[in-house]
Amino acid sequence: MTPDNGAFATAAYVLAALVYAGYVVSLTLRERRLRQRLARLDSPSRPPSNRPAGA
Amino acid sequence: MTSAQEPITPPPARRDLLLGVAIVAVAAVYVRALAFTPIEARQGAAQKILYIHATAAFIALYVAFALMAIASILYLWLKDEKLDRVAESAAEVGLAFTTVVLVTGPLWGKTIWGAWWTWDARLTSTLFLWFIIVAYSLLRGAVEERGRRARYSAVLGILAALLVPFIHLSVYLFRTLHPMPILLKPSAPSMPAEMQVTFFSAFAAFLLLFAALLRSRYRIATLRDLVANRDQELAA
Repeated sequence: MTPDNGAFATAAYVLAALVYAGYVVSLTLRERRLRQRLARLDSPSRPPSNRPAGA
Repeated sequence: MTSAQEPITPPPARRDLLLGVAIVAVAAVYVRALAFTPIEARQGAAQKILYIHATAAFIALYVAFALMAIASILYLWLKDEKLDRVAESAAEVGLAFTTVVLVTGPLWGKTIWGAWWTWDARLTSTLFLWFIIVAYSLLRGAVEERGRRARYSAVLGILAALLVPFIHLSVYLFRTLHPMPILLKPSAPSMPAEMQVTFFSAFAAFLLLFAALLRSRYRIATLRDLVANRDQELAA
Protein backbone atom coordinates (compact mmCIF):
# COMPACT_ATOMS: atom_id res chain seq x y z
CA MET A 1 0.00 0.00 0.00
CA THR A 2 1.35 3.43 -0.96
CA PRO A 3 2.07 5.51 2.16
CA ASP A 4 0.35 8.85 2.56
CA ASN A 5 3.31 11.20 3.08
CA GLY A 6 2.55 14.03 0.65
CA ALA A 7 2.95 16.59 3.44
CA PHE A 8 6.66 15.72 3.72
CA ALA A 9 7.17 16.28 -0.01
CA THR A 10 5.28 19.58 0.12
CA ALA A 11 7.31 20.71 3.15
CA ALA A 12 10.58 19.82 1.37
CA TYR A 13 9.60 21.77 -1.76
CA VAL A 14 8.51 24.79 0.30
CA LEU A 15 11.72 24.77 2.39
CA ALA A 16 13.91 24.45 -0.72
CA ALA A 17 12.05 27.37 -2.34
CA LEU A 18 12.56 29.44 0.83
CA VAL A 19 16.32 28.74 0.85
CA TYR A 20 16.71 29.68 -2.83
CA ALA A 21 14.42 32.72 -2.57
CA GLY A 22 16.19 33.92 0.56
CA TYR A 23 19.52 33.64 -1.19
CA VAL A 24 18.25 35.55 -4.25
CA VAL A 25 16.96 38.33 -1.96
CA SER A 26 20.29 38.43 -0.11
CA LEU A 27 22.20 38.75 -3.40
CA THR A 28 19.86 41.49 -4.65
CA LEU A 29 20.20 43.53 -1.46
CA ARG A 30 23.98 43.14 -1.32
CA GLU A 31 24.37 44.23 -4.95
CA ARG A 32 22.07 47.22 -4.44
CA ARG A 33 24.00 48.32 -1.34
CA LEU A 34 27.35 48.05 -3.15
CA ARG A 35 26.07 50.00 -6.16
CA GLN A 36 24.79 52.77 -3.87
CA ARG A 37 28.14 52.90 -2.09
CA LEU A 38 30.02 53.01 -5.38
CA ALA A 39 27.75 55.80 -6.65
CA ARG A 40 28.46 57.79 -3.46
CA LEU A 41 32.22 57.28 -3.89
CA ASP A 42 32.06 58.37 -7.54
CA SER A 43 29.78 61.31 -6.86
CA PRO A 44 31.47 64.74 -7.43
CA SER A 45 29.50 66.19 -4.50
CA ARG A 46 31.18 63.79 -2.12
CA PRO A 47 31.89 65.49 1.24
CA PRO A 48 35.56 66.32 1.85
CA SER A 49 37.62 63.71 3.64
CA ASN A 50 38.05 63.99 7.40
CA ARG A 51 41.65 62.87 7.12
CA PRO A 52 44.18 65.48 8.27
CA ALA A 53 46.12 67.20 5.49
CA GLY A 54 49.22 65.27 4.48
CA ALA A 55 48.04 62.06 6.13
CA MET B 1 51.25 44.23 -9.36
CA THR B 2 49.20 44.37 -6.19
CA SER B 3 45.59 43.32 -6.14
CA ALA B 4 44.35 46.81 -5.37
CA GLN B 5 45.94 48.24 -8.53
CA GLU B 6 44.22 45.85 -10.87
CA PRO B 7 41.73 47.81 -13.00
CA ILE B 8 38.15 46.61 -12.54
CA THR B 9 35.28 47.54 -14.81
CA PRO B 10 32.00 47.99 -12.91
CA PRO B 11 29.44 45.39 -14.04
CA PRO B 12 26.44 47.05 -15.75
CA ALA B 13 23.26 47.40 -13.67
CA ARG B 14 20.37 45.89 -15.59
CA ARG B 15 17.59 43.37 -15.08
CA ASP B 16 18.93 39.84 -14.74
CA LEU B 17 17.27 37.97 -17.61
CA LEU B 18 19.09 34.71 -16.87
CA LEU B 19 17.81 34.72 -13.28
CA GLY B 20 14.27 35.39 -14.51
CA VAL B 21 14.45 32.47 -16.96
CA ALA B 22 15.89 30.22 -14.25
CA ILE B 23 13.10 31.09 -11.79
CA VAL B 24 10.45 30.33 -14.44
CA ALA B 25 12.19 27.02 -15.27
CA VAL B 26 12.35 26.01 -11.59
CA ALA B 27 8.68 26.94 -11.13
CA ALA B 28 7.79 24.75 -14.15
CA VAL B 29 9.77 21.88 -12.62
CA TYR B 30 7.88 22.28 -9.34
CA VAL B 31 4.57 21.99 -11.21
CA ARG B 32 5.72 18.99 -13.25
CA ALA B 33 7.21 17.18 -10.25
CA LEU B 34 4.32 17.75 -7.86
CA ALA B 35 1.34 17.54 -10.23
CA PHE B 36 2.34 15.58 -13.33
CA THR B 37 4.87 12.97 -12.21
CA PRO B 38 3.57 9.62 -10.96
CA ILE B 39 3.81 8.73 -7.29
CA GLU B 40 6.22 5.92 -6.53
CA ALA B 41 4.25 2.95 -5.19
CA ARG B 42 6.42 1.95 -2.20
CA GLN B 43 7.74 5.32 -1.00
CA GLY B 44 4.69 7.42 -1.77
CA ALA B 45 4.80 11.14 -2.62
CA ALA B 46 7.89 11.64 -0.44
CA GLN B 47 9.95 10.06 -3.25
CA LYS B 48 9.36 13.30 -5.18
CA ILE B 49 11.85 14.94 -2.82
CA LEU B 50 14.44 13.24 -5.05
CA TYR B 51 13.91 15.85 -7.78
CA ILE B 52 15.06 18.72 -5.55
CA HIS B 53 17.35 16.82 -3.16
CA ALA B 54 19.51 14.85 -5.59
CA THR B 55 19.70 17.66 -8.17
CA ALA B 56 20.87 20.11 -5.48
CA ALA B 57 23.46 17.54 -4.32
CA PHE B 58 24.74 16.91 -7.89
CA ILE B 59 25.07 20.62 -8.60
CA ALA B 60 26.67 21.48 -5.25
CA LEU B 61 29.20 18.63 -5.26
CA TYR B 62 30.03 18.08 -8.91
CA VAL B 63 29.55 21.58 -10.32
CA ALA B 64 29.90 24.24 -7.60
CA PHE B 65 32.64 22.72 -5.46
CA ALA B 66 34.46 21.32 -8.51
CA LEU B 67 34.45 24.83 -10.00
CA MET B 68 35.63 26.25 -6.66
CA ALA B 69 38.54 23.79 -6.61
CA ILE B 70 39.55 24.37 -10.25
CA ALA B 71 39.38 28.17 -9.86
CA SER B 72 41.38 27.93 -6.61
CA ILE B 73 44.12 25.82 -8.21
CA LEU B 74 44.29 28.18 -11.17
CA TYR B 75 44.39 31.18 -8.80
CA LEU B 76 47.38 29.77 -6.93
CA TRP B 77 49.09 29.29 -10.28
CA LEU B 78 48.12 32.45 -12.20
CA LYS B 79 47.32 34.85 -9.30
CA ASP B 80 44.43 36.30 -11.29
CA GLU B 81 41.85 37.97 -9.01
CA LYS B 82 39.01 36.97 -11.33
CA LEU B 83 39.70 33.32 -10.50
CA ASP B 84 39.52 34.10 -6.78
CA ARG B 85 36.14 35.75 -7.36
CA VAL B 86 34.92 32.70 -9.31
CA ALA B 87 36.04 30.37 -6.48
CA GLU B 88 34.41 32.56 -3.83
CA SER B 89 31.16 32.79 -5.81
CA ALA B 90 31.02 29.06 -6.57
CA ALA B 91 31.63 28.25 -2.89
CA GLU B 92 28.80 30.47 -1.66
CA VAL B 93 26.28 29.32 -4.27
CA GLY B 94 27.35 25.72 -3.57
CA LEU B 95 26.70 26.36 0.11
CA ALA B 96 23.11 27.42 -0.71
CA PHE B 97 22.58 24.21 -2.73
CA THR B 98 24.14 22.07 0.04
CA THR B 99 21.79 23.74 2.53
CA VAL B 100 18.87 22.59 0.37
CA VAL B 101 20.33 19.06 0.41
CA LEU B 102 20.61 19.09 4.21
CA VAL B 103 17.13 20.57 4.69
CA THR B 104 15.26 18.28 2.30
CA GLY B 105 17.16 15.06 3.11
CA PRO B 106 15.82 14.65 6.67
CA LEU B 107 12.23 15.08 5.42
CA TRP B 108 12.76 12.20 3.01
CA GLY B 109 14.69 10.18 5.60
CA LYS B 110 11.91 10.48 8.17
CA THR B 111 9.39 8.90 5.78
CA ILE B 112 11.70 6.10 4.59
CA TRP B 113 13.98 5.33 7.56
CA GLY B 114 11.73 6.60 10.34
CA ALA B 115 14.53 8.95 11.47
CA TRP B 116 15.27 12.57 10.62
CA TRP B 117 19.01 12.03 10.77
CA THR B 118 21.53 9.26 11.13
CA TRP B 119 25.28 9.67 11.61
CA ASP B 120 26.23 7.50 8.67
CA ALA B 121 29.16 8.23 6.34
CA ARG B 122 27.23 9.97 3.53
CA LEU B 123 25.19 12.28 5.75
CA THR B 124 27.99 13.08 8.18
CA SER B 125 30.56 13.85 5.47
CA THR B 126 28.06 16.10 3.64
CA LEU B 127 27.36 17.99 6.87
CA PHE B 128 31.12 18.22 7.47
CA LEU B 129 31.61 19.69 3.99
CA TRP B 130 28.84 22.24 4.71
CA PHE B 131 30.71 23.33 7.86
CA ILE B 132 34.00 23.62 5.94
CA ILE B 133 32.37 25.86 3.34
CA VAL B 134 30.88 27.98 6.16
CA ALA B 135 34.42 28.21 7.58
CA TYR B 136 35.67 29.17 4.10
CA SER B 137 33.17 32.05 4.03
CA LEU B 138 34.14 33.15 7.55
CA LEU B 139 37.82 33.04 6.58
CA ARG B 140 37.15 35.30 3.62
CA GLY B 141 35.45 37.78 5.91
CA ALA B 142 38.22 37.64 8.52
CA VAL B 143 41.30 38.31 6.34
CA GLU B 144 41.43 41.88 5.04
CA GLU B 145 44.48 41.80 2.79
CA ARG B 146 43.19 40.61 -0.57
CA GLY B 147 46.18 38.62 -1.74
CA ARG B 148 46.47 36.73 1.53
CA ARG B 149 42.71 36.17 1.72
CA ALA B 150 42.70 34.71 -1.78
CA ARG B 151 45.66 32.41 -1.05
CA TYR B 152 44.32 31.10 2.26
CA SER B 153 40.85 30.52 0.89
CA ALA B 154 42.20 28.84 -2.26
CA VAL B 155 44.04 26.31 -0.08
CA LEU B 156 40.96 25.72 2.09
CA GLY B 157 38.76 25.46 -1.02
CA ILE B 158 40.99 22.79 -2.54
CA LEU B 159 41.06 20.82 0.73
CA ALA B 160 37.27 21.05 1.01
CA ALA B 161 36.81 19.75 -2.53
CA LEU B 162 38.88 16.66 -1.65
CA LEU B 163 35.87 15.55 0.40
CA VAL B 164 33.67 15.33 -2.71
CA PRO B 165 35.02 11.98 -4.03
CA PHE B 166 34.83 10.62 -0.49
CA ILE B 167 31.17 11.67 -0.22
CA HIS B 168 30.43 10.07 -3.61
CA LEU B 169 32.12 6.80 -2.70
CA SER B 170 30.92 6.69 0.93
CA VAL B 171 27.88 4.58 0.06
CA TYR B 172 30.18 1.95 -1.46
CA LEU B 173 32.90 2.12 1.22
CA PHE B 174 30.69 2.03 4.31
CA ARG B 175 27.45 0.43 5.34
CA THR B 176 25.02 3.34 5.22
CA LEU B 177 21.29 3.94 5.26
CA HIS B 178 21.63 6.31 2.33
CA PRO B 179 20.66 4.53 -0.91
CA MET B 180 23.14 3.73 -3.68
CA PRO B 181 23.07 6.06 -6.72
CA ILE B 182 20.17 5.31 -9.05
CA LEU B 183 21.33 7.64 -11.81
CA LEU B 184 25.01 8.53 -11.44
CA LYS B 185 26.36 5.01 -11.84
CA PRO B 186 28.02 2.95 -14.57
CA SER B 187 24.89 0.92 -15.40
CA ALA B 188 21.59 2.24 -16.78
CA PRO B 189 19.44 4.45 -14.47
CA SER B 190 17.03 2.44 -12.30
CA MET B 191 14.08 4.78 -12.71
CA PRO B 192 11.00 4.80 -14.99
CA ALA B 193 11.27 7.01 -18.07
CA GLU B 194 8.60 9.48 -16.90
CA MET B 195 10.47 10.09 -13.65
CA GLN B 196 13.76 10.40 -15.53
CA VAL B 197 12.27 13.18 -17.67
CA THR B 198 11.25 15.05 -14.49
CA PHE B 199 14.64 14.44 -12.92
CA PHE B 200 16.67 15.66 -15.89
CA SER B 201 14.33 18.66 -16.40
CA ALA B 202 14.88 19.52 -12.74
CA PHE B 203 18.62 19.11 -13.19
CA ALA B 204 18.62 21.48 -16.19
CA ALA B 205 16.44 24.06 -14.40
CA PHE B 206 18.54 24.05 -11.23
CA LEU B 207 21.73 24.18 -13.30
CA LEU B 208 20.33 27.31 -14.94
CA LEU B 209 19.54 28.68 -11.47
CA PHE B 210 23.09 27.87 -10.37
CA ALA B 211 24.52 29.75 -13.38
CA ALA B 212 22.31 32.78 -12.67
CA LEU B 213 23.21 32.85 -8.97
CA LEU B 214 26.90 32.37 -9.74
CA ARG B 215 26.84 35.30 -12.17
CA SER B 216 25.00 37.46 -9.66
CA ARG B 217 27.43 36.55 -6.86
CA TYR B 218 30.40 37.22 -9.15
CA ARG B 219 29.01 40.71 -9.86
CA ILE B 220 28.88 41.34 -6.10
CA ALA B 221 32.50 40.23 -5.65
CA THR B 222 33.55 42.54 -8.51
CA LEU B 223 31.63 45.50 -7.06
CA ARG B 224 33.08 44.86 -3.59
CA ASP B 225 36.65 44.88 -4.95
CA LEU B 226 35.88 48.01 -6.95
CA VAL B 227 34.58 49.77 -3.82
CA ALA B 228 37.72 48.65 -1.93
CA ASN B 229 39.89 50.08 -4.74
CA ARG B 230 38.05 53.42 -4.64
CA ASP B 231 38.37 53.52 -0.85
CA GLN B 232 42.12 52.96 -1.17
CA GLU B 233 42.43 55.64 -3.83
CA LEU B 234 40.62 58.13 -1.60
CA ALA B 235 42.71 57.21 1.41
CA ALA B 236 45.97 57.66 -0.54
